[in-house]
Amino acid sequence: MGSQSFSDALGVDYGALAPLLIVLGGACVSVLLEAVLPRVRRRSVQLVFSLAVVVVALAAVIIRATSGAGDVVVLAGSLSVDAPGLFLWGTLLALAVPSVLMLADRSVEPGGVFVADPEALAEAQERVGAGSLRSTSSGLPSGTGTDTHGVVGRRGGAGPEPTTPPEMHTEIFPFVLFALGGMLAFSAANDLLTMFVALEVLSLPLYLLCGLARRRRLLSQEAAVKYFLLGAFASAFFLYGVALLYGYAGSVRLADIAASAAGPLRSDALLFAGLALLVVGLMFKASVGPFHTWTPDVYQGAPTPVTAFMAACTKVAAFGAILRVFTVAFGTTALEWRGVLWAVAIASMVIGTVLGITQTDLKRMVAYSSVAHAGFILIGCLAITPAGLSGTLFYLLAYGFTTIAILGLVSLVRSGDGEAGHLSGYAGLAQRSPVVAAALSFCLLALAGVPLTSGFTAKFAVFSAGLADGMAPLVIVGLVCSAIAAFFYLRVIVLMYFSDPAPDGPTVSLPGPMTTVAITLGVAVTLLLGVLPTAALEWAGAGTFLG
Amino acid sequence: MTTTIGEAIGFWILGPVALAGGLGMVFSRNAVHSALWLVLTMLSLGVIYMLQAAPFLGFTQIIVYTGAIMMLFVFVLMMVGRDASDSVVEVLRGQRVAAAVLGIGLAGLMIGAVAQSVGVPLAAGAPSGSNVGGLGLLVFQRYLLAFELTSALIITGAVGAMVYTFAGRAKSKAITQKERVAERLRGPLEKFGSRSGPGVFATADSVATPALLPDGSVAPESLSAIIEATARERLGHATELSRPGDEHDTAAHSHHAERGEIQGSQT
Amino acid sequence: MNPLPPPGTPGYTQALLADDPIWLTIVKVVVVFALLLVMTLFMIWLERRVVGRMQQRPGPNWNGPFGLLQSLADGLKLAFKEDIRPVLADKAVFFIAPVISTIPAFVAFAVIPLGPEVSIFGHHTALQVADLPVGILVVLACSSVGVYGIVLSGWASGSPYPLLGSLRSAAQVISYELALGLSIIAVVLYAGSLSTADIVSAQQNGWYIWLLPVSFIVFAISMVGETNRAPFDLPEAESELVGGFHTEYSSLKFALFFLAEYVNMVTLSAVATTLFLGGWMAPWPLSLIPGVNSGWLPVVWFISKMFVFLFVYIWLRGTLPRQRYDQFMRLGWKILIPVSLVWIVAVATLRVLRNQYGTISAPVVLMVGAVVLVVAIVVALMLPDRAADDDDAGSEPPVVGTYPVPPLDLTVPTSPPKRRRAVSRGPAPETAAVGSGQKEDA
Repeated sequence: MGSQSFSDALGVDYGALAPLLIVLGGACVSVLLEAVLPRVRRRSVQLVFSLAVVVVALAAVIIRATSGAGDVVVLAGSLSVDAPGLFLWGTLLALAVPSVLMLADRSVEPGGVFVADPEALAEAQERVGAGSLRSTSSGLPSGTGTDTHGVVGRRGGAGPEPTTPPEMHTEIFPFVLFALGGMLAFSAANDLLTMFVALEVLSLPLYLLCGLARRRRLLSQEAAVKYFLLGAFASAFFLYGVALLYGYAGSVRLADIAASAAGPLRSDALLFAGLALLVVGLMFKASVGPFHTWTPDVYQGAPTPVTAFMAACTKVAAFGAILRVFTVAFGTTALEWRGVLWAVAIASMVIGTVLGITQTDLKRMVAYSSVAHAGFILIGCLAITPAGLSGTLFYLLAYGFTTIAILGLVSLVRSGDGEAGHLSGYAGLAQRSPVVAAALSFCLLALAGVPLTSGFTAKFAVFSAGLADGMAPLVIVGLVCSAIAAFFYLRVIVLMYFSDPAPDGPTVSLPGPMTTVAITLGVAVTLLLGVLPTAALEWAGAGTFLG
Repeated sequence: MTTTIGEAIGFWILGPVALAGGLGMVFSRNAVHSALWLVLTMLSLGVIYMLQAAPFLGFTQIIVYTGAIMMLFVFVLMMVGRDASDSVVEVLRGQRVAAAVLGIGLAGLMIGAVAQSVGVPLAAGAPSGSNVGGLGLLVFQRYLLAFELTSALIITGAVGAMVYTFAGRAKSKAITQKERVAERLRGPLEKFGSRSGPGVFATADSVATPALLPDGSVAPESLSAIIEATARERLGHATELSRPGDEHDTAAHSHHAERGEIQGSQT
Repeated sequence: MNPLPPPGTPGYTQALLADDPIWLTIVKVVVVFALLLVMTLFMIWLERRVVGRMQQRPGPNWNGPFGLLQSLADGLKLAFKEDIRPVLADKAVFFIAPVISTIPAFVAFAVIPLGPEVSIFGHHTALQVADLPVGILVVLACSSVGVYGIVLSGWASGSPYPLLGSLRSAAQVISYELALGLSIIAVVLYAGSLSTADIVSAQQNGWYIWLLPVSFIVFAISMVGETNRAPFDLPEAESELVGGFHTEYSSLKFALFFLAEYVNMVTLSAVATTLFLGGWMAPWPLSLIPGVNSGWLPVVWFISKMFVFLFVYIWLRGTLPRQRYDQFMRLGWKILIPVSLVWIVAVATLRVLRNQYGTISAPVVLMVGAVVLVVAIVVALMLPDRAADDDDAGSEPPVVGTYPVPPLDLTVPTSPPKRRRAVSRGPAPETAAVGSGQKEDA
């Protein structure tokens, strides 16, 4: 067989595949750059290259979406490039831009959070030395954070200005690109096998990234190990589900499973056992309660930029896949399994809100809020209607940008030894830095779902779709939970505006240009989608999944 | 599809063996024994594949799983230590019972699901044609994307392993061998490590010539008790020469005392 | 029963062997087993004789003609030795390890075609115990299972030297199995089949050693690594690990390890012969004689080719010192595997081109190869040299302070009285020694 007939048989549609190929190819080139470039030039080249890859891929998605090319199934049916898929791709790539910017920023800490090993070590030793020095001469200010005006730059660190900035682990750029490629494939996968491999491709780089906070090694690596072990467990569930479904349908293609389910009677036990196991794996990735146990620890332990990337993009990819599986493969049998997932959605919302109230660490609070939000998004997924689909897609877009902005802001509030995660550190933040406090308040209000923010529009879209599909009880639980959740968002805002700052409390760092851009983007999109949601909603509702 | 007698016999022998391997793996206390039970399971599975007319899959199973992956496991387990066995201390109270109950429950559910569908004809999804060719077509056409994505996974794994294990070096000049030697001889490590034995630096092989220790002092052991004059002369210098706090200093003294005692008892 | 495909086509031998009655298969199994046992005894003798000759000594020459019965006597002696099991040993594993190591070594030989179609008691059959469609994988599988014997024996012995030996062995096998497998791939690509009989019949027009020299070299090297033979006998390095993995073994269990090692050698030599030297086919000038490639005669060709490899094994042992462990690993991972990968890509590219554009003549291939080589050399020349290491140039030799360095010139010992005075003057000997050292450097 010659190559001619080979590509014919495969039906490689490079136009449709372009975004995925660009990202994965870019990731491979990025690994090569890592090997070829001298150490000093790696960071800048990798940053520019990764951004270029993401932007070009985004452009390819936009071109594809606007060109009016129809929905196609490519590569022998393993990938489906359809309107919702393109929206998901666009969302993922759009979210990747601020994520990459935040990952690359190292203006707040010398060398960034991913500072290379030897530098971290030397720094730690220096700090130990400096600490002992400080204890002998008590007149010295502790740390750099005594500027009562609040905003200080930490560009030099405590010591003398180094001649060259400390190096960082530039391998994070290929990791992010690989993860992004996995997410693109995951949200567009048209058969369960591809979906499984894509799941691994997106997970492995994230496991690795989680453990790379070199200044908080223990917490970070603990997070990575937890995420890895639980993730591997969830993958095993997913794979077992795939095996059962293959036994049921004789195919791993989503459309074939739907056809088998609609066909003459087979034993539905296999179908539903397979679905159950599959859902466990998917829900784990989307951090839907009660499969959320990794979320708080990992959100807290991972480097904050990675948390932002993970919180925004993984959720989009996972819910994209959930939507596709529910709609394409199990749409016809929805009535039979929906009840169980009602319970899951309710559990997720309740767990997220109730446990969220008890948190005292802002990153953990965001984690529990993400669990609650996963419950809300699941309502949209369970309504297998065009309105539910578009509402969910819109929710994902809105939630992603808001989360990135919040985590970007969190990374700016710092005490002497890193980020000040504890809520008490946010007391009186508005007096120290009104801009940061305002932006954070705005994003928290968006999470709470206050009108004129994207959160309101998104919740409205999802809940109305749920109501229309006869899920009133679920929607009522969702509304109650939103109200409860609003309490802990508002608590932070009250703390920031109506408390006095502790004299030795954390300071707000001046963000570097890249983090500034990322936060601005997040806040702007949150506002924009709250005020003018029509265009995005229309694009989200442009089409349906193609099996 | 019918089952031949040979296939049936093979299955009823290998099935229990595979199952026993699985159980043995779970219940062995010793990690290496666990791994060996798992090897047994994998070998049985490989042979079952061969019986099912999938020799390629069967042998690949043996080569890849038994030969490579389990060998890696055994390698790591041997590093852990021979007597390392499971801790039987329960960290979380009631965790074991809960895990057993839930595990058995899950197993019951799965068995129930599969059992319900036994007898219902399953959809046939096997490709036709030869083993290797069929697999090749599947891998390079039907599941090309999954196959290529796997390479992304492997690259990530390799890079990740390097990021995590290779600590890197601080920005300093590489130490040359020459510098290393100088460091070794003069640096803070001078006191440690093995030094040349006494006598290596002696320039004469006469019994009357005492051996020198690496720091230039005289090795007391090399002093001949018979050539008394030499001994007296040497020892006087030895105590003079050796630096305060030097280990050889004290050693010389203790040896001296010891020697005196022995001499005393002999005479 | 399927009709036989025509002789020489892929799958012919499989169909032929499928018709074997059970007694014939049993006879073949017994014959192969006996052959391997005898080969082991003979190889031990041969090795001792050849190495002896290389070291200018006679080797065993007392028992039997030319000392041929020496190995038999040694084997009998081993059987009567006391079987010792260390107290700390893991009983079951200690017992089963030699068995695991021996059985796969024998099994692998089953897929080796010793000769073409012959007639035994009126039955047409091939001189091969079994021909599987994935025959070559059997060899790989057996070698990967056989290593468990070595690894487990070391672990189960409960003593540090064997453990070190088995750790080395595990790492060695994982590394060299890869290179071995990769070198086989090119052969399989050309033969279009994984069956050993088909691979032999595909070499009718030329042995693969000429067509795929790189694969052959990689295979030959990793074959030695895979069998733990010198210079890669790190698992049992006598000078470092006493006896390596079999330190604690004695009597018949030890004999089994010995047996496994030699059977493995024979098997892998046979595999190399099959893959690269045309199996049972006669070498070139002889192959012109008609009828030389049929009947029982090819067994002779096969065995003689096998002995070429076996002799090289012995030769290597008599010639090369053992490699250091890190050098050995570097050879495997940094040279053999990359070379194999590049080679496979090249071979596959050629195959695809040939499939698309019909037969590519040898000159074209040679020309393309020459162009690639020239480009590679030019690029290599254009690349800037690594910046010269200026550490060495013009820097002072290390001044070694008061630390005495042995004199480089090894002067004639001076008389005692003079030395005594020199010593009594204090640090004179050191300065003298250092001075002489510097003089020597300058």
